[in-house]
Amino acid sequence: MDNPDFTRPGAEAPGPAHGGPHTTTYHVHIDGHEVAVHEQHPTGEALLALIDRKPCAFELIAEFKHRENEVIEPHQTVDLADHNLKRFITAHKEIVTITIEGSPYTIERGKRTVAEILDKVGKTPDTYALLEEKDGPPLPLPANQPVDIQGCEVFHFQVQSGGSS
Amino acid sequence: MDYPRAQTDELKPYCTKLSMFMEGGVPFFSLEGLRLPAGCEPQVCDALLCPVTRDNYPSRLYFSVKVKSLYDRNWNCENARIGEKNWFAFSWKVEGANLTLAQMLMAHLLGFTKEK
Repeated sequence: MDNPDFTRPGAEAPGPAHGGPHTTTYHVHIDGHEVAVHEQHPTGEALLALIDRKPCAFELIAEFKHRENEVIEPHQTVDLADHNLKRFITAHKEIVTITIEGSPYTIERGKRTVAEILDKVGKTPDTYALLEEKDGPPLPLPANQPVDIQGCEVFHFQVQSGGSS
Repeated sequence: MDYPRAQTDELKPYCTKLSMFMEGGVPFFSLEGLRLPAGCEPQVCDALLCPVTRDNYPSRLYFSVKVKSLYDRNWNCENARIGEKNWFAFSWKVEGANLTLAQMLMAHLLGFTKEK
């Protein structure tokens, strides 16, 4: 009996109206979710996106029947037709990626200080304010409060240009 | 007084409705539903950004309520009547003549997130 978690090619999807080649749909299991994939060689990043996860916070691990698990890098492709492929699982990274002014930086997941984050770009809270873009435009973060880093956070900085008078 | 379209567009995401009016020859940007930094109560309120010198401040941000934040602020302006409404402002001097409107707004909001 087949393992129900096996990644398996699914029904043939209808091809384009102009008569192009048929595509195979693969039913892939990621963290217990069954998702349909319409290409044989998706990237790790594309597979993560199917369950709303990003490589800046999560890694994708392929489980095989007769060999060791393999971490699939974001731009690495996977052959979904590989009969040894069982399923995928994800794991929250310990070292995640954040973005500061559009550039990626790695940092340990968890509570981090504003100073630690600004240090990534060679700035200090004495001179610069840290702003986080979260569900809207960037807003300043309190310099003395920890920032909960889970991965994929988007930050900006701005010169401290105000003061009490 | 004209402000570059790019600068006014940059303000729009911070609030639900942006408009501008002049009163007594002074420009004001009305920021309805302005989002405030974490730790503020309320988290959203209406605000007025005055980007020019007023009351001896190079620029000023007025709020529809006295916002509670992590740090006690000196709310030295209470019930200022502007645009047929009452406004509140704390003592916060934002220097920097070359700031864009959004940078100016951020510099004022920093008043809620730093001690001095």
